[in-house]
Amino acid sequence: MMHFPTRRAVLGAASAITLLAMTACGNVSGGSSDSSKYPNGPVNLTVGQAPGGSTDLIARAISEGAAKTLGAPMPVVNKPGANGALASKEVAGKPADGQNLLLINASLITITPLAVTQDEAVNIDDYDVISGLSQDDYVLVASEKSGFKSIKDVTSAGRNVTYGTTGVGTGSQLAQTVLFKQANVKGTDVPFDSGKPALTAVLGNQVELATIQLGEAMPQIQAGKVAPLLVFSEERNSFLPDTPTAKESGYDVPVAQYRAIAAPKGTPQEVKDKLLSAIQDTLKSDAYKEFNKKNMLTPKEISGEEVVTQWKDYAAKYKALVEKYDISLAGNK
Amino acid sequence: MDFLNPVINGFAVVLEPMNLLYCLIGVVIGMLIGVLPGLGPAATIAILLPLTYNVEPVTAIIMLAGIFYGAQYGGTITSVLLRLPGEASSVVTVFDGYQMAKQGRAGTALGLASIGSFIGGTASIIGLTFLAPIVASFALDFGPAEYTALALLGILLVATISSGSKTKALIAAALGLLLATVGRDIFTGENRFTFGSLELADGIDFVPIAMGIFGLGEIMYNLEERHRAAKAPSAVANVWPSRGDLKQASGAIGRGSVLGFFLGILPGGGATIASMASYAMEKKRAKQPERFGKGAPEGVAGPETANNAAATSSFIPLLTLGIPANATMALMFGALLIQGVTPGPQLVEQDPGLFWGVVNSMYIGNILLLIMSLPLVGIFVKILRVRAAILAPITALITLLGAYTINNSMFDVTLVVVFGIVGYLMKKFGFEPGPLVLAFVLGSLLESSLRRALLVFGGDPLGFFGRPISATLLIVFVLVAALPGIRSALAKRKATVPARTAATEIKEKV
Repeated sequence: MMHFPTRRAVLGAASAITLLAMTACGNVSGGSSDSSKYPNGPVNLTVGQAPGGSTDLIARAISEGAAKTLGAPMPVVNKPGANGALASKEVAGKPADGQNLLLINASLITITPLAVTQDEAVNIDDYDVISGLSQDDYVLVASEKSGFKSIKDVTSAGRNVTYGTTGVGTGSQLAQTVLFKQANVKGTDVPFDSGKPALTAVLGNQVELATIQLGEAMPQIQAGKVAPLLVFSEERNSFLPDTPTAKESGYDVPVAQYRAIAAPKGTPQEVKDKLLSAIQDTLKSDAYKEFNKKNMLTPKEISGEEVVTQWKDYAAKYKALVEKYDISLAGNK
Repeated sequence: MDFLNPVINGFAVVLEPMNLLYCLIGVVIGMLIGVLPGLGPAATIAILLPLTYNVEPVTAIIMLAGIFYGAQYGGTITSVLLRLPGEASSVVTVFDGYQMAKQGRAGTALGLASIGSFIGGTASIIGLTFLAPIVASFALDFGPAEYTALALLGILLVATISSGSKTKALIAAALGLLLATVGRDIFTGENRFTFGSLELADGIDFVPIAMGIFGLGEIMYNLEERHRAAKAPSAVANVWPSRGDLKQASGAIGRGSVLGFFLGILPGGGATIASMASYAMEKKRAKQPERFGKGAPEGVAGPETANNAAATSSFIPLLTLGIPANATMALMFGALLIQGVTPGPQLVEQDPGLFWGVVNSMYIGNILLLIMSLPLVGIFVKILRVRAAILAPITALITLLGAYTINNSMFDVTLVVVFGIVGYLMKKFGFEPGPLVLAFVLGSLLESSLRRALLVFGGDPLGFFGRPISATLLIVFVLVAALPGIRSALAKRKATVPARTAATEIKEKV
């Protein structure tokens, strides 16, 4: 409940004011662009998704920790729209002073460009990636009525199989369409708005399969209402150790959602260093580790450079896969 | 007792101090805007939506629900005392309520209305408590096909039942359906009507539309009307109705509860229609119909009971099926979505705390209203004297500020202004905004469910009739659609003979 200013907010505001006062004094000798004075007021962390989703929750967990080390408040600003492209484009256009950060989803760089027009696609080169955060795995689940207990059951079914996806241009759609092509199974792609309705459709036997994020599927998997067939990560997921990967089952379709923190291109090195150490402090904290566990996120705390190379590799790989199997993510145009 | 456990836990949710406080705030705001003519519950909820953003979902909905049923109470007060219906649902109360006040029985009228409202509201909550789990037990059977049929039926009922011109309601609904198609096609990723704007890629958000059409549009429209200075209200004495009055009104209260309950569930129904239907029913049933319009207690008790019962029961389709029955419920739908809660058949099971918390808060809210409504009459009358020139700019400012805060987007503010103008023009030319907003909400549900269902059926439209729930709903749809045609055909055949008698009858009624 946040309707009255919490103590943290008051403290934050107070420290912001002190900081402002301090920087005002500092300006006599330095300059307003002096990066040693960073942070100069609140650091906005923009999220391209609505509050309450996993991306938003991660942003809030990071901001809570990083604000302490930075000594400045780090409000999370939700700006949903166009899969996150809206927020990404806005942050890319902000001054590169580290006051405006972005929590970015890999799918926006690696998968969405396959489904949208060139000018809507977001380019990772417009950002300085500060740090990678975590990996959110996709799991393929089957409905009770379908009778599928393993991926073999699906491939040997010898009939058309309906599968729900979390929408056009998502990892869920890419993973399943490629899998079906590689396994040579005929399937009907039924897009839903997000993971929850797709899962509900599997529970109600409206579709036979769906690929959703593990955190969302886990309660129903544990309850035995849906059967996990495989995970699309390169290695088995520690929260679901008995479920094979797509790779083990002989399919080359490594898909997961990765998240990272980025700043506009050209942010001074000093600022980036400060941000990185603040984020790393958070990543090391017990509270954040607990958060990851609770949301079934696998830490993937790699450097910004590694994030860029890996994401670009995935983007190239997906592009090749889609071309090889002649798949159009934009569906039945 | 398994069934009752979550119900009882719901009371624990309501009795949390913060929820109680918000319930109180909700009903007080509700009563207040019920008193103010013009600003209705839909507008108020639209304006206050962003304020609920940082509050827990249960708390937010408890407050918004309080505004809704609180407004039904408030509207009565001005109807009776000043002959100024604060709400459309209290218009019929004016006929007999004001007459009773003139005869020095204002207290009795208000007392009857309060008791009736309380009973009607409570009866509906009990109905909701028992009906919701039944609907929810079908939850997982509701797939794309069922939602298609449900959305179709909802849009049809909204357009045919709504008060006012049917043609205009259909036009407004068509506009709503058109607006619902804006944005990226979720099946092909193709952009529709976005004109290259990334802001429109996800379609138009429901909240700016509601805030514009209901909030800003209403405010602008009200500015046109010069407010009559509030007269001194009739003195209120002796609020507790006599045994004779109660006896006279008890039948009306009973019938009003049942009638209101069922009209509230119907898409397109709601408090206004329920109050009118109840008044008509009481007049028809009365042994001396000529007493109506001259201070008949049933004429106050019936409609006031019915409008409160309907206000409460209209939560049933929203909370159990995710289908809003009227414009205010469409706003509740928006409020839940902002909170990350998708109303639907799964709600009772997945979020029992929220569901039963909201339902049970209505008991508390109704008791609060019963206690507070009469002592506060004097204050409300004073508020009526605040000039629109002061009130309107303040509410407009709150609306625009609120619109910005939801997505931190100036684009949303522009949308609110645009839809404010649309809403104003619609009111001015006699178009009900309700069908537009409801068709907008149901439109995207209809489209995506229909296409999803056809994908699942492999393109065979007969699949809809292969599933029991969707088949039944579609048959009802056909019946409702064909009914007016059949009725007018029958009427034509009859009309040739007794045309003359019918004409005189109408004359008498006027």
